Amino acid sequence: MLKLSRPPRLVFGIVSVVFFLAAWEVIAWSGLLGSSVPAMFTTLSHTFEFLGQANSWAVIGETVAMALSGLLLAIVAGVALGILIGLSATVRHGSKVIVEFLKPVPPIVILPVVVLVLGPTMGMGVFLVFIGCVIPILVQTAAGVVDTDPVALDSARSFGIGKLETTLKVVLPSAMAFIGSSIRITAPIALVVAVVAGLFGGGPGLGRLLMRAASSGQQTEVFSIVLVAGMLGLLFQSISVVAERRVLHWHPSQRVEETR
Amino acid sequence: MRVLLATDTTSNKRQRGIPRRALHICLEIGVPIVLLAAWFISSQRSSNPFFPPLAEILNRFHELWLFDHLHSDVVPSMSNLVLGFAIAVLLGVIGGVLLALMRPIAWLADPLIHFWRAVPPVALVPIFVATLGYGNETRLVSIVVAAVFPTLIATVDGLRSVDSGLRDVGRAYNLTFSERLLVVNLPAASPMIMAGVQISLQSAFVVMIASEMMGTSTGIGAMTLLAQQSYASADMWAGILLLGTIGYAANALFEMARARILSWYFKAQKQGAAS
Amino acid sequence: MSKASIESSSFANIQARFTNRPVRLSVEGLAKSYGSGESRVEVIEDLSFEVHAGEIACIVGPSGVGKTTLLKCLAGLHPLTAGSAAIDGRTIQGPPAEMALVFQDYSRSLMPWLTARQNIRLPLRHLKLGTTEEASRLDEALEVVGLAHAGSKYPWQLSGGMQQRVAIARALAYRPEVLVMDEPFASVDAQTRFELEDLCLQIRQDYDMTIVVVTHDIDEAVYLSDQIVVIGQKPAIVTEILPVSFPEPRSQFSTRALPAFAEARTHVLQLIQQAR
Repeated sequence: MLKLSRPPRLVFGIVSVVFFLAAWEVIAWSGLLGSSVPAMFTTLSHTFEFLGQANSWAVIGETVAMALSGLLLAIVAGVALGILIGLSATVRHGSKVIVEFLKPVPPIVILPVVVLVLGPTMGMGVFLVFIGCVIPILVQTAAGVVDTDPVALDSARSFGIGKLETTLKVVLPSAMAFIGSSIRITAPIALVVAVVAGLFGGGPGLGRLLMRAASSGQQTEVFSIVLVAGMLGLLFQSISVVAERRVLHWHPSQRVEETR
Repeated sequence: MRVLLATDTTSNKRQRGIPRRALHICLEIGVPIVLLAAWFISSQRSSNPFFPPLAEILNRFHELWLFDHLHSDVVPSMSNLVLGFAIAVLLGVIGGVLLALMRPIAWLADPLIHFWRAVPPVALVPIFVATLGYGNETRLVSIVVAAVFPTLIATVDGLRSVDSGLRDVGRAYNLTFSERLLVVNLPAASPMIMAGVQISLQSAFVVMIASEMMGTSTGIGAMTLLAQQSYASADMWAGILLLGTIGYAANALFEMARARILSWYFKAQKQGAAS
Repeated sequence: MSKASIESSSFANIQARFTNRPVRLSVEGLAKSYGSGESRVEVIEDLSFEVHAGEIACIVGPSGVGKTTLLKCLAGLHPLTAGSAAIDGRTIQGPPAEMALVFQDYSRSLMPWLTARQNIRLPLRHLKLGTTEEASRLDEALEVVGLAHAGSKYPWQLSGGMQQRVAIARALAYRPEVLVMDEPFASVDAQTRFELEDLCLQIRQDYDMTIVVVTHDIDEAVYLSDQIVVIGQKPAIVTEILPVSFPEPRSQFSTRALPAFAEARTHVLQLIQQAR
């Protein structure tokens, strides 16, 4: 069987990026999509320029800060609530309909009211990220808790280990795989919501910068910001994947080749 | 992509008596009703401009959506959502099949796909508005672009991870290309594909709202944002209620369809868990 | 090569039941290796044997000797590195139309989204048999494996043994000249195993099929075979080709109780242990 080793694959990757950039340049040049597509070289150099300014890093920092603090709060609250829901049948059933209803509703839906109450602030962005991430984490944590091996629970009980200690030493570690994968899934969502908060809610960060550039017709700036947002997205994705592996390297779920 | 279909978290294996179960059903139905009632009563004499009485919100909901703006705003939003989602799923599956079949093309496309999927899809909306204008096409294209990647990637991953045993059966029995694709590989990949399709639906919904929040005045998203900007908080809440309901209903419909399409998968899993 | 050693005294009385029938499957100097250069792994060095029409041949050898690789080569799923394999004199290049396969792991060989009947029908679709012919083949196949009532069941609703019966029925409905089975009864319980072995003998009887079974179970090989191909060493070579003959029809009770049965299994066991 013909199998290409790594270098040719890398070549394919480079070729495709070059091809993409060339196509972009051609489209910009030909004016196929009107004058709204800026030239590729101009945009790339603008992007580098953008990344060279301390100001831009402050803006990127704002977006990242909103995403990370919202995510962190969501992890704390989501895991705590998830354990509660997972352990107590009463809480589980009482919250079922509400959670099921809120699960598929994205944070952009409540953005108007959040902006109305909190204003176009950092806190608004953090809150929106929190709302966007807490439900998936909560749902997965609860699923993980329910999934706890009954044998492990029974043996903990037979050793006379207290309820709190059982929760911390048996239930939580066994739910860790679920929690880990929920964080991997929500980390990119946190970034998206942080951008949305700026874009439509006027919150600080890349989103607001993008909105301003778009409404004043600065196309080069728009494209540069989108490129930066993409790079940030890649960073968030890869860090969350690596982090999940690192944290859960002991867990059986990581030993099986992930179906990815 | 791991297929973590968070299905029913409540299914615990321990046998419970009937009164226990009745209590749980009461809780499931009762708690939301109590909460809604609490909202209704506590907001009754609310003078807080942000949180108007629920009665007023429901009243505005009725006035706005049933059926004054149904034709002018609700229908266009919904048809964009449905159409955009459908096109995205179709393109995603077809594209995924092509990429999975043709390795060199996949190598070419991989870096670009992974970059564009990492870009927050809403961030692309301004680009489409600038290039395509403020027309309805922009909204549709935005939805399609946002929703295509999850399905595309899930299809490629799903097809690549089809069990080699099943593949061997297809080859050993000389199945035709279309049989192998339609009867063996696509069904085998379908649980993963459906997981991607669900994310596509969510993306499509988000971008439907986002695309309406940018510079247009029609659509549910636009009306809701405009209501907020003009401090018509009851109207805004009515919009939020409608959007929330649509988001929930779209997902519920999807899950019903998936339960039908993948009934073999869910049943087989249950069987496996039981034995 | 240490090919046929028919002179082994204890088996001198074999009657040549099949030698007057045409050679259906022939393997000559078959070699198979994976990879190239430094990472090249040679799995099979040199295998040659022949299976006559209507014969059951078992291929036995220690685990990891490359039996499954050999099977995949015969089935046309893997290209050979050297030598050749042929059905009725025609070289096997891709999956041959005259051959049907039963895989070891039934859970990975039946489509869980198709019912038993649909699974059996899968390889028939492109044969365009016409509805009546197709239906009668499906009914018959289900009948033969004793699953006439279970056609509308999904694989995951059936026990392991029943699933393997479905896989066998699928092969039967395809009406192959050669039926190739890879450790077909390895993952079913002992009782089911006996039943399936007898099913296998009966199929040969009824359809005059040529059957090649790869197994690591020596008793099974002796019970089923007209010919045992013992392979061994790494990379694999033929250690011995051993004709087997018992009074027909064979039965789990009487055949296994024969002194010749015990002799044969001891002999094969020794061969395998030497070959390790």
